[in-house]
Amino acid sequence: MNYAMVKRLVLKDWYLQRWAILGSLAGIVATLGIIATGAKIAFLLGLILLIIVIISIGAHMAVATIVTERKEQTLPFVMSLPISYREYTASKIWGNLLIFLVPWVTMVVGSIGMLLWSPSSRGLVPYTAIMSAEILLSTCLILAVALITESQGWAVAAIMVGNIGVNGLGYAFAHIAGIEKGMWGPTIQWSGAASVVLLAEFITVGLLLGITFFVQGRKKDFL
Amino acid sequence: MNDLSVHFEGVSKIYPHFTLDDLSLELPTGTIMGLIGANGAGKSTTIRILMGLVHQDQGLVQVLGREMPREQAAAKLDIGFVSEDMRLYGPATLAWHMSFVQSIYPQWDQAYSEMLLRRFDLKPQQKIKGLSHGQRVKAALLLALARRPRLLVLDEPTTGLDPVARQEVLGELMAVLADEDRTILFSSHNTLDVEQISDQITFIDRGRIIASDNKEMFLERWRRLRLVLSPEGDLPSLPGVVEVGGSERLPVLVTNRFDPAMVSVCNDAGATVQAVDPMTLEEIFVANVHSRREKQTV
Repeated sequence: MNYAMVKRLVLKDWYLQRWAILGSLAGIVATLGIIATGAKIAFLLGLILLIIVIISIGAHMAVATIVTERKEQTLPFVMSLPISYREYTASKIWGNLLIFLVPWVTMVVGSIGMLLWSPSSRGLVPYTAIMSAEILLSTCLILAVALITESQGWAVAAIMVGNIGVNGLGYAFAHIAGIEKGMWGPTIQWSGAASVVLLAEFITVGLLLGITFFVQGRKKDFL
Repeated sequence: MNDLSVHFEGVSKIYPHFTLDDLSLELPTGTIMGLIGANGAGKSTTIRILMGLVHQDQGLVQVLGREMPREQAAAKLDIGFVSEDMRLYGPATLAWHMSFVQSIYPQWDQAYSEMLLRRFDLKPQQKIKGLSHGQRVKAALLLALARRPRLLVLDEPTTGLDPVARQEVLGELMAVLADEDRTILFSSHNTLDVEQISDQITFIDRGRIIASDNKEMFLERWRRLRLVLSPEGDLPSLPGVVEVGGSERLPVLVTNRFDPAMVSVCNDAGATVQAVDPMTLEEIFVANVHSRREKQTV
């Protein structure tokens, strides 16, 4: 693997998507500001806005850097460079994940920080961690589908499935006894169920990325 | 030292509705080969296999001594590639593209790139989306040429250009090619474009190479003979006849093995040679394709 080349491709995508990245960061800061006002309605509104911004940047990056690259025929230019398809795949995964992780980590640190700062809401920390991982999982799903299919239709379908997953699973997780118990309390209660769900989410993220590399490695036609 | 820049041996690629069949091709270093074929003949598939972007189902592909597709990353370090379906990033400037490509290719020639900017009349600060199609092709050529590739692969670069832009691009390309010896594979369905810059010609049709030779040999060997037969005369048996047209008394033969001695052979057989017409590359290509297709049908 030519890591120097992968890095150049990642920086290329970041440069081309710089305004979207900066815009999402500004959105994150603004929503954290809303949450920081301390009002309960502001907290809920801010949290929803934060999730929308994070999911949007993940989906936008996958579509803009992968699907659009094929659609607008810039892929032949990239593939004319001294890279293999493995390096191309690695650059897309790293480029997208790292960009996503900047607002995602900001969101995780910001929201958990807020919860810790407000003593009455600390019980929400495990659920917030689970939902943050769910958003990461949803983005990895979109990324994997976009890379494997390079199709706008499939990418849109993955975005829909991802969003439904975040909402549906979010609802389901909130009603798991081990997670629900103490969720609205003042202390953090890490139950076995919360740990299993969190672990399962990270394993699924790893599997999705592994499958993406595997499928990409078996492709025979890249243009 | 390997004196072949491109070596295909028994290469096949099977798609549901198209097969590239048992393709063998050699491109000696320092030559300019024109790959001519109709739309859908297999030119782009051949070039994509050459670039490692499509994997062959069978056969051996070596480019600059590297086995493809396994060593494509190393091979592409010495290849400049421009294709008809290649686009640059619209929101970025040409200067950004130049800087990006320069950061990848250690052999990037800055002075040469600046000379090409002037020659192609391109402005580095202009965004790609603001360029005309002809300017975009020139920009892509600049990015491919300034990296000083050992092999230049051009897949229908003039397709879609208006006649003026096409002549501009070809003219600039010929001027650039005159600078030094380069190995080039140039594909097109436009024989005039290929004829202008190539010294080796390969015809491809329906996924098979049907002829490959030096351009001068094609132009020297292919002739159209207009005969007048006497009432009792028979059509003389001539070597390399691929097409017989005209009428019974005024036959027109196309041969791919013309020899001036054929005229006396015809006279001896009671046929008068009214004219021996040279053929254009396009006529040679069309006659070649028709002849092969007829053989396949038979």
